[in-house]
Amino acid sequence: MRGTRIRRTVLASLAATALLSTAACGGSSSGSGGDGGIADEIKVVAVRDHTGPVAYAGLGGAKGTELAVEEINSSGFLGDGVKLVVDEVDSAGEIERASSEMTKAMSDRDVVAILGPTQGAQAASVAPLVERQKVPTIFTQSGSEGVVIGDWTFRATAPMQAYYDIAMKKLADDGVKTVSVLYNATFATFAELGEDVVPELAEENGIEIVSSDSVQSTTQDFTGQTQSIAKSDPDAVVMLLIAPQSVTALGQLRQAGYDKQVMATSVQAAGNVSAAGAAAHGLMYPVDYSTAMDHPEAQAFATAFQEKFGEEPDPYAAEGYDGTWWLARAIKASGDSSREGIQEGLTQVAEEGFTGAMGDITFEGNDMRVPGVVVQWDGTTESLTD
Amino acid sequence: MNDWYLSNIVLVQSTFTTLLLALSVQIPMRMGVFSFAGIGAYGIGGYVAAMCMVHREWTTVPAIVAGTLAAGIATFLLGLVVQRLTGLYMGMATIAFTLIVAVLAVNGGEWTGGASGLFGALGDITTGLIIGCAVVVVVLLQFTEMGGLGRRIDTVREDPELANAMGINVARYRRLSFLASGLVGGLAGALVTLLRSTITPDLVNFHLVVLALTVIVVGGSGSWIGALIGSLIFVWLPTWLVFIGEWEEIVYGVIVALAAIFLPSGVLGVAKNLWHRFRTRDERARLKAGGGTPAGETGDAGGRGLVPSVEGEA
Amino acid sequence: MQDLLNAATLGSIYLLFTLGMALAWGTIGILNFAHGATFMFSAFVAHVLSRETPLPFLAAVAISVVVGALMSVATQVLAFQQIIKRAKSQHHAELRILIGGIGVAAIPLAIAQRETKSSPFGINSDYTATVFEFAGLRLSSTALVILIAGLGIGIGLTVWLRRSRQGLALRALGVDAETSAGMGVNRQVMAIGTMAVAGALAGLAGALLTFHLSAIAPETGDQLIIKAFAIVVLGGLGSMAGAVIGSYVLAGTETLVLVAGHGTWVDAVSFGLIFLILLVRPQGLLGRKEVRRT
Repeated sequence: MRGTRIRRTVLASLAATALLSTAACGGSSSGSGGDGGIADEIKVVAVRDHTGPVAYAGLGGAKGTELAVEEINSSGFLGDGVKLVVDEVDSAGEIERASSEMTKAMSDRDVVAILGPTQGAQAASVAPLVERQKVPTIFTQSGSEGVVIGDWTFRATAPMQAYYDIAMKKLADDGVKTVSVLYNATFATFAELGEDVVPELAEENGIEIVSSDSVQSTTQDFTGQTQSIAKSDPDAVVMLLIAPQSVTALGQLRQAGYDKQVMATSVQAAGNVSAAGAAAHGLMYPVDYSTAMDHPEAQAFATAFQEKFGEEPDPYAAEGYDGTWWLARAIKASGDSSREGIQEGLTQVAEEGFTGAMGDITFEGNDMRVPGVVVQWDGTTESLTD
Repeated sequence: MNDWYLSNIVLVQSTFTTLLLALSVQIPMRMGVFSFAGIGAYGIGGYVAAMCMVHREWTTVPAIVAGTLAAGIATFLLGLVVQRLTGLYMGMATIAFTLIVAVLAVNGGEWTGGASGLFGALGDITTGLIIGCAVVVVVLLQFTEMGGLGRRIDTVREDPELANAMGINVARYRRLSFLASGLVGGLAGALVTLLRSTITPDLVNFHLVVLALTVIVVGGSGSWIGALIGSLIFVWLPTWLVFIGEWEEIVYGVIVALAAIFLPSGVLGVAKNLWHRFRTRDERARLKAGGGTPAGETGDAGGRGLVPSVEGEA
Repeated sequence: MQDLLNAATLGSIYLLFTLGMALAWGTIGILNFAHGATFMFSAFVAHVLSRETPLPFLAAVAISVVVGALMSVATQVLAFQQIIKRAKSQHHAELRILIGGIGVAAIPLAIAQRETKSSPFGINSDYTATVFEFAGLRLSSTALVILIAGLGIGIGLTVWLRRSRQGLALRALGVDAETSAGMGVNRQVMAIGTMAVAGALAGLAGALLTFHLSAIAPETGDQLIIKAFAIVVLGGLGSMAGAVIGSYVLAGTETLVLVAGHGTWVDAVSFGLIFLILLVRPQGLLGRKEVRRT
């Protein structure tokens, strides 16, 4: 028995050593040729959550991309017979999966660009790899720090913090002087909004924050907080919560007798708050895209999307759409569909900006900025507030 | 081969880090201590390593060492406090420890990056380093599974009163199991964090506990080999299941449930059974021809009889 | 005072959810990790059925209860009983029942996630909660139902287990299954019955909570499981009264921390409290005292 054990250990060590030596042999290689010119088939991989807790973001983005690809190819935007091909891969809500799929895509020399993960933690985790491997990657959503860190990382979604000022301004314009903040402090974006951004903006707009309640992502019941907010009766409530929490908080706010304005976030977009029923009527939130937007590009996008998928587009679809068009414009601008060419093109287009479904898009470095719009929800649709 | 390796490098690395994570729970379990503190250690190790790198600009190896040691000490202290607990009460207390670690991380302000966590802690970690660490741990564990030490540990688990009567200091073994689980868990956390360059509070959660437990039970709880088998299965399963597409989660659940029903000692148990039957095939055939029960086996169908069923092969 | 009422409501929510788990665990020794998925999926089925036409309150609850009972019975027959059959002893089966439950739980979770794309879902009903105001306190009708149901069923079960014959049989099973079987207790039948009740309780909790919160997400069940686990351990294994007390203690602690303004410390304080109590009373508040000489 003892001999068998020792033999097994030795075998295991030998196997490990063998693996060790192959590891030593492993090394990264640079991207494809870079000889300029646009290839006939441009291969891109998209790594997003198609399943998992925030699947709706990935699924929406994938649809937007699909529409964009169709438009780009059928219009010959990149040249006659040039096809942009996007392979969708599911990261299933896990960092390990995202990492793994990204690594696979990056080691495939035919892949010239990647449409990156939507979750902040996944994106921040793969960003250094992207920089190391020098593969231009366009992230959507993933609004946390540590994502756009270098020349090869790009983001096609303006972080909520970047355009929340329009929401606070709207409140001020409506005569709001006092506000209560209810926010999820264990969710990075909301923590930043609730603790830093909103207080700053409130001060700038002459609004006083009378109370600020923080909860965790695991908090499900808001009876206590909503009752105390109703008691202090501020002119408005700024609600920074994830989807299921938002529905509950809205319902309980109304039950507690509070009937004034509630300002939320783009998490509520695309009907994510419809389960709250009547309690959500009149809810306002700033969003980077809405079907209520009236500039021509937004309308054209909405019509085309409706035609193709039989449903209205949500912000995630718009981000996927504009992000993919950014990629196409980049290839056209640099005239080079290699990894380096795309990177150059993306930077170039970012300097110039362009108009997409989300309006007049500008960039701060490689990070997208949009004008954004404050919409109001009436139970079935969003409408513009100005 | 090299291309396959490169494109699957994350999975290869994941296999070994998951192995270490699972071992951090399996080690105390083998001593009869139902402790999940190893997951909390994973969080502590990860955060300490990231903090050293981001705030103090340490290099990779010192950061990993710091993370591992911090986790080991914290878990050892925890062990001192909870050693009187048994069974699921111990399990609950150690899960509480793990969840408290996560809350501390969220409320740690600048130090731990709060809700956003820490990022940019990119260590210089090669797959070789990960495998090397795993091999070292496994070799050490192997020595604890063999010979006298192995038997003493089995006794501590199966019959603590007997062990005490024989002069084995059961309490000391249990305390040491906490230290070991903390070190191994902390090492896993430090490695993964510096590999992924990020750590967030919601990474230290109940799902990790579930993962470690599932890996151990399906793979086989008696030995590190079982943990390795379990890690291989659960890290590579999504790749094999990829053709099933969106039904992946359901298939995963069904596989886990089936394993729990039909594989009492995990895959390792099945493998050992087959190996045993293979080794004794000549003798069994001979005895069958001649009639009578084979020597060394009782009449039991599985041939295990009075041998304790959590693997403690003598 | 209002905070006390809110804490009581929260406690009743936890209690309704935990009762099913505590019952199964404390009597037939089955720690059913699929309890959270059962809870969520029962409400989900009510949601799906209410999509076209709104369901009345009682109908939604009834559907949820039935689905919950069916799910738990199915899990017992298809998974847990198979494990127990093949196990050498109850002790070795426990870990595998745990993992089996985890595996089974993934299935309804995946189905619900696919259908809703992980967006929150509610039950479409004409019922809207009316809010009662008395003595300066506010209470919604749903909360009232939860309070009454939670306390009522909790205390009722505790008394029934202590006084009735079947209750005695169940408790005997919990203490020593083999001897009880020898004394004529039909283990299989009692187990299925217990799981049916446990599942029904999960379904009841699912419907009521979905009405109270306006909507739940597919992941809500898993969040509650860890709390239920904590409550059962806190109250003491095998004690229904312990589960009742534990639910209110946990809810009270959480509310206290929230009211004090430390929303992000809630989990730490509640689990820290449980940790401390376990140190002082290693068998939980009202648990069976295990004699351990080492």
